Amino acid sequence: MYGETANKLVQNAKRTLALPHLPPYQSELIRSVIREVRDLDKDVASLLAPYSGSFNPASSPETACALLVNHLCMRRNKRCLLAYHKVRSDKLEEYCWNGVDVLEQQAQKANGNSAGEGGAAGAESSLSPEEEEYVRQYSDLLAAYKGQWTDIDLTGSLEPPKDLFIDVRVLKDAGEIQTEYGSITLTKNSQFYVRHGDVERLIQQGYLQRLS
Amino acid sequence: MALPLPPGLTPPEIAFLCEMELVTVIPRQRLEGLELLGGPLKPLNPPQRSNIPLWLALLLKRQRRANILPPPWLNTHSLTAILDHETEHADTFSPPPRLPSQPSDNTLPISPPFLPTSTADAAPDALPYHWLELGEMLLEAAADDFEEPDQVRKLLRGLREVRMAKLRSGVEVLDAAGGIKMNGVGGMEVGEGRSFITGVVDGLRKIGASREQQRKDRDAEEAENGYSGTAGDYDDDEMDMQ
Amino acid sequence: MDIDDLLAEVAVDSTPQESRDLQELTRAWVAERTAPEILNWPEELMERVLERIRRQIELVEDQTGNMDPKTNFKLIVIQTELERFKFLVRSFLRARLKKIDEHPLHIRAQHTASLDTMQSLLSPSELQYLTSHQALLSQHYSTSFLSQFPASLQRLDDTTGGISMVDKPDEDKAVFVRALRDIGTVFIEGTDRRLEVKRGDVWVVRWSAVRKWAVGSGTGDVELI
Repeated sequence: MYGETANKLVQNAKRTLALPHLPPYQSELIRSVIREVRDLDKDVASLLAPYSGSFNPASSPETACALLVNHLCMRRNKRCLLAYHKVRSDKLEEYCWNGVDVLEQQAQKANGNSAGEGGAAGAESSLSPEEEEYVRQYSDLLAAYKGQWTDIDLTGSLEPPKDLFIDVRVLKDAGEIQTEYGSITLTKNSQFYVRHGDVERLIQQGYLQRLS
Repeated sequence: MALPLPPGLTPPEIAFLCEMELVTVIPRQRLEGLELLGGPLKPLNPPQRSNIPLWLALLLKRQRRANILPPPWLNTHSLTAILDHETEHADTFSPPPRLPSQPSDNTLPISPPFLPTSTADAAPDALPYHWLELGEMLLEAAADDFEEPDQVRKLLRGLREVRMAKLRSGVEVLDAAGGIKMNGVGGMEVGEGRSFITGVVDGLRKIGASREQQRKDRDAEEAENGYSGTAGDYDDDEMDMQ
Repeated sequence: MDIDDLLAEVAVDSTPQESRDLQELTRAWVAERTAPEILNWPEELMERVLERIRRQIELVEDQTGNMDPKTNFKLIVIQTELERFKFLVRSFLRARLKKIDEHPLHIRAQHTASLDTMQSLLSPSELQYLTSHQALLSQHYSTSFLSQFPASLQRLDDTTGGISMVDKPDEDKAVFVRALRDIGTVFIEGTDRRLEVKRGDVWVVRWSAVRKWAVGSGTGDVELI
């Protein structure tokens, strides 16, 4: 049945929407949908061939109907392929926005698999070569756009700022720390009102204590 | 995706807006005047009152550099009166604060959170747009600046319940055309009701879309023919309005 | 012009430009977060705000490390406010970018049409982003499958067959608005509904019915909330 393969792609895309990761690219399915479109197109050509350019739908309604069905199937396949690729490219873009290096991850995954399971199966990237290229180019595009807005840090937090500054007491000498705007020296027993983000790690490491 | 948030404002974003409201503080320490991005900040000199944005007042309060004067509507006396009004009038919210006089055409009109409806000299008898957020934030950060914080908290909860019930029962009058007047509604209430209310209105519109299209086509045709409706059509309008 | 108008103007003129800009930016942000369509790029406002942000960052950089507690606290106030502005601008830009990514072809056509008016829809860098992103996507579709299609089926903006490939936002979506001035009667097309919209009113209404009065897309007599 025409369109069935494409439907599988759409179902796959729908599942992808709810997944945190990107499932493997369905090259086989894609190839067979493309094949179906080309076959349908050949069909159309051979249906039209006898009329040598002067086809009149009204005088041969059954041929017109066959042509219509073929056309609709091709269009549907195209839509399904577009939807499938769009869902995946959206996800890839999201990784770029979140600063996730998806290409690096794919490389690690491939290495990990080949080391652990003796190579062969599963060692392939989930991305098609075209998708890998797309990620590279979109990252460049995003970097260029971001570069025009360095002052406001475009990929920064989308939560409104809250409790930006906190009171801390220095428990152990922590030396000089670099903040976004300059450096401060943290000596034992001193108290500071500092940017939360600048000292989060030092609190975890036990150098500083947050005062309520 | 460039913005992984649905359309509308999230509760933290509504609170962020509310933090732009002006409140009155009594400084306990001096602070020199500052050229801030949102306009100059006048020097703070204890014990002279000063109106400053809520975010700054909260910052000063946490550092024990100032006390906050709760607005006149945020006390037990005023809230009790407003709650009575809310309970007596089941179909509408209590009226919002009176607007300042109409600005002239070539100036920027002021609206919440920039109207001074929560300073010490604000009106005592009306809930401003950010009433709930502002009340909760002040009670959390400056409970000691209230005379009866627990009573105030209880009244805010009561108000919230009465008004949420109205918001829910208001859903019954929703229809495909939209056009629902909600004067007096609060910022957090808009945020909480938005997706449901707009969802219902949009859904009803889509169900009735073909009928509306017919009507639009007919109207367009009539406009083209310079035809302005019969008495019969007019009566239909009146019926629908009631 | 009567005396009230004169007084009102004097009153507003005494409001510093910075405060008015904050109000405008806040309004633009709320509108962009709640409107179904992308709104006009507020070019002059953004130029002023970004320039002030840049100067404020310089000021903070100059003074950080100064351990005098008084200066230190002033810096805390300034930085806290600075972060608030950075958030506003960031969230605003990203809300716009999201819309641009959702309906690129529709928005490009709208932008092109807006060039004939005083107000252009997109900033130059947004237009550049849109164009480059579209080019990348077309290239991606083409190399992934579309180039192997019959030539007549390779377009991405096809409108034949009754369905346009160019998607656009739902312009009739319901929105919450507040009237900043009296605007008189609003008609809801296709229905019998007429609304009398007065200053201060809050309404739930179709975007398409109030768009021409809205901040960012019309006269500015109505704001989205």
